[in-house]
Amino acid sequence: MFYDVKKVVIITEKLIRDGVLKIVEAAGATGYTVHETGGKGSRGIRSEERPHVVEAFFNVQVDVIATEAVARQIAEEVAATYFTNYSGITYVQDVEILRPAKFEHHT
Amino acid sequence: METLFALATKVVAQLQSATLGFLIGGMVIAALGTRLQIPNAIYQFIVFMLLMAIGLEGGMEIRDANLVEMILPAISAVVLGLVAVLLGLVTLARLPGIKTDDALATAGLFGAVSSSTLAAGMAALDESNVPYEGWVPALYPFMDTPALILAIVLATVLRARASGEAAERVRVWPIVKESLQGGALTALLLGLALGLITRPEAVYESFYHPLFRGLLSVLMLVMGMEAYARLHELRRVAQWYAVYALFAPLVNGFLGFGLGYLAHVATGFSPGGVVLLAVIASSNSDISGPPTLRAGIPTANPSAFIGASTSIGTPVAIALGIPLFIGLAEVVF
Repeated sequence: MFYDVKKVVIITEKLIRDGVLKIVEAAGATGYTVHETGGKGSRGIRSEERPHVVEAFFNVQVDVIATEAVARQIAEEVAATYFTNYSGITYVQDVEILRPAKFEHHT
Repeated sequence: METLFALATKVVAQLQSATLGFLIGGMVIAALGTRLQIPNAIYQFIVFMLLMAIGLEGGMEIRDANLVEMILPAISAVVLGLVAVLLGLVTLARLPGIKTDDALATAGLFGAVSSSTLAAGMAALDESNVPYEGWVPALYPFMDTPALILAIVLATVLRARASGEAAERVRVWPIVKESLQGGALTALLLGLALGLITRPEAVYESFYHPLFRGLLSVLMLVMGMEAYARLHELRRVAQWYAVYALFAPLVNGFLGFGLGYLAHVATGFSPGGVVLLAVIASSNSDISGPPTLRAGIPTANPSAFIGASTSIGTPVAIALGIPLFIGLAEVVF
């Protein structure tokens, strides 16, 4: 049995990863996945290939599975808090999951 | 005239150093589009090894050093870090088309210290057989941390003044912590502590010291390649950053040489120590400074300050600064 929920994806600078994760948890998400990543955007190419003298300028991708309300809140809050000064993108996708209890908060 | 000629001869002799050769070699192969890659993990490890070696040696020397001799050089280091930022504020920040935040972040980086330049300076002094006090590299945090703090505090205060709001209080302790937690400084401080408290002579002599020069050559290659790779970022910002990055290392370095000379006269700071203080002053942070400044002055454009520092500042400090200060010392002392 599959359930429809949302996945919010945030691709941004590693430097602000901890701040982003705080927003994710405060919004009520039960977990997340972080990947180190690279690519090209409006603020230039960030690749993993050559040694970076400054590791904090790597990019990370944060994936969060959550209900629609939580996912949208995370995306909007991250964009409002960080994306004026830091590079990053965020979007919300439809996903289907098993075991919805994993994504609900038990208080 | 003769003095100038003597200085020029010494500087040219320094230009043949292998350290410099690896740096320029890195730039050249990057410009030619090399596919050579030095993995990031190895780069991180090399920085650790070099700073641990420097820390251990410094710690072992502090054990037997006269602490009074360290006071003036340590105060000089703090002053140099602060003055470099203030100089940036009255020069770079006043130039047309330069945002104050960008200028302060850049000046903060140039006031802070580069471990690669420091290591290159030590190797150059060893090659020229110029002795220096082993604790001089331990002056690193005395210059690095105040420069970063002053840049962030000034940027916050000036930004608040510009927007007409009361300045939010800058919390200094998190910046100190962040700066000391950087990988390079952590290794240096740990090495200092181990050198002071334990007896690391055996591991230092058999492991860290013999590897120092070889690892430094690889680091120089990486820095050269990185300098070239970051040049394109500098092209996207005002040319004044390139001009500043060309002169700031030399101006800061000469100030360091001057203060070091005063310490030489007053408390017998060695000529090699004076050179190393000048090298630390002329260096600009390339590892731990940028993330600290990015977090502390988020409105500043990283292309400006990292491009200026990594692409121009570091090569200038290593290729021009170090030979110049060693040559100057040989003429002056």
